[in-house]
Amino acid sequence: MKKYTHFLFAAVVVAAMPLLMQSGSLASEVLIFALAAMGCNLLLGFTGLLSFGQGIFFGLGSYTVALMLTRWPVPMPLALLLATVVGALGAAVVGWVAIRQRGTYFVMLTLAFAQMFYFVAYTATGLTGGDNGLMDIPRPNLSIFGTDLWTLASPWQFYGFVSVLFLVVFWLLLKVSRSTFGRTLLAVRDNEERAAAIGYNLRLLKLQAFVISGAVTGLAGALHAMMTGLAPLSNAEYHTSEMILVMTVIGGTGNLFASLLGSAFYLLLADWLSQLWPRWLLLLGIALMAVSLWMQRGLWGLGETIWNRLQGQRKPLADPLVPPAAVVATKGEQV
Amino acid sequence: MNIYLLQVINGIGIGMLYFLLAVGLSIVFGLLRFVNFAHGAFYLIGAYFCYQMTRWGMSFWLALVVVPLVVGAIGWATEKLVLRHVYATDHEFHILVTVGLALAVQELVILQWGPLGDSVAVPDALQGVVMWGSFIYPKYRLFVIGFTAVLAVLLWWVLEGTRLGSAVRAGSESTEMVSLLGINVLRIFSLVFGLGAATAALAGVLASPIRGAEPFMGIEALAVAFVVVVVGGMGSFSGALLGGLMIGIVQSVMSTLWPEGARLMIYVAMAAVLLLRPHGLLGRKE
Repeated sequence: MKKYTHFLFAAVVVAAMPLLMQSGSLASEVLIFALAAMGCNLLLGFTGLLSFGQGIFFGLGSYTVALMLTRWPVPMPLALLLATVVGALGAAVVGWVAIRQRGTYFVMLTLAFAQMFYFVAYTATGLTGGDNGLMDIPRPNLSIFGTDLWTLASPWQFYGFVSVLFLVVFWLLLKVSRSTFGRTLLAVRDNEERAAAIGYNLRLLKLQAFVISGAVTGLAGALHAMMTGLAPLSNAEYHTSEMILVMTVIGGTGNLFASLLGSAFYLLLADWLSQLWPRWLLLLGIALMAVSLWMQRGLWGLGETIWNRLQGQRKPLADPLVPPAAVVATKGEQV
Repeated sequence: MNIYLLQVINGIGIGMLYFLLAVGLSIVFGLLRFVNFAHGAFYLIGAYFCYQMTRWGMSFWLALVVVPLVVGAIGWATEKLVLRHVYATDHEFHILVTVGLALAVQELVILQWGPLGDSVAVPDALQGVVMWGSFIYPKYRLFVIGFTAVLAVLLWWVLEGTRLGSAVRAGSESTEMVSLLGINVLRIFSLVFGLGAATAALAGVLASPIRGAEPFMGIEALAVAFVVVVVGGMGSFSGALLGGLMIGIVQSVMSTLWPEGARLMIYVAMAAVLLLRPHGLLGRKE
């Protein structure tokens, strides 16, 4: 049963949002960015790759679906699938170059590629609409042979569609993270030299993680474009990459459900604070510093600690996906 | 006068500023082993402090001296108060804490000076152009080239000719060894971080009369500094110089040939260098 606890948590959150929230769009956005954050988490939390290029795949996904739905008569599911594939291909290209470098160099490269993609999107006005982005993206119903199976016109109807996709992807990523492949990624994260010495092909493993991450993020970008009806240039901006990363880190790395927490926390806080104080990002910057300094396992880690205290347990729950604090502390010593 | 020659000289000026930006990043990386995402933020506040001082009627020259010192002190304090406490954690958090810092600084700047940028006047003494026969060129840009060249020599001397410099270079090889030799490494960490912040701020001050001050110039500068470091080779002083000049000239010449794509081309140049030389032009293999 324990295997499915996190999936159950996610399902509960998905079911609870319509009961607790007013806006279907905001709820859909939470799930869409949770997808993107999970993609980022797969890299950061499971493989140890800090990527500032997630905006590339997000942007690719939204541009792809926008082009498909506005210019060519492509059925909506196929357009989403294509956006996913394009996200994966983009990740394969970026990954192929960036993975040749390690550590800090890799981080810098992902940001440089994110900027590069931004300027490509800015310059290629024929495809992306440049500064204006692509507008009037329709949100067709889900239909087979002309029969509508699922109307997506209202925000909550769209939320239903997104939540099904979200749960499917969550399930798949959970499977991936617990497969032999996922465990091997953890080995790469915890000790690259050792993983290489055992004989794992690090580059291939990292590239595979990158491709999966790009696919999920591309799907998120596509859903976002369908939700807002826009594929703006800002989807490809540094800010988007940063936002996805911040959600992942604040939620907690190395745990997929935590990404949903991070996304919900970020977007609900943004929704609430941005009306009160337009410079709320200042608080977010401080929050990110605080998480890095004192709460490295994010909201999930905080919740777990509190839960353990309540239970009167001293030792943290033995979740194999989260390294014990002692390992983290000793790893830093080498730096 | 030949437009391309003009653009190459423009490119040298921009490139020297890029060098100044990248060299601080590179030295900090060499010693502290992480990328400082707040580097662009120091450049940003450098430009804004200069803007504010000139608005108060103080001279640009005073700003040129005072701002790097102030921002250097801020950097020094940041290392002591914030960064020092993440060294024991996972590598990613060193970077993330500076990402948070950069975001906070950017928002503080918007809070104080508003989201729209403003221009900074060129100092009186450097208004106008110089004319040597058919060679006509803005005085201020020539000054930037000369001044940064002097700074480059000075920085090189600090790194190669002083005790601090040898500690920094030795620390880049092995921090443990340097501390075993009885040198207080933590003190050097904060000094070097302060020095990095000061050079970034100096680049900000020098750039402000050319491109003005606006809140998003920090992240833009950070990305360019990354490109320069990637092109030149991480941790290499001459690599930063070569990379900076190359990227500056590419950007400048391309802005004549293909104005919309000039910014794109610096990233294309980076990709090309990476494919040919994965460790940068003058970088060492790890």
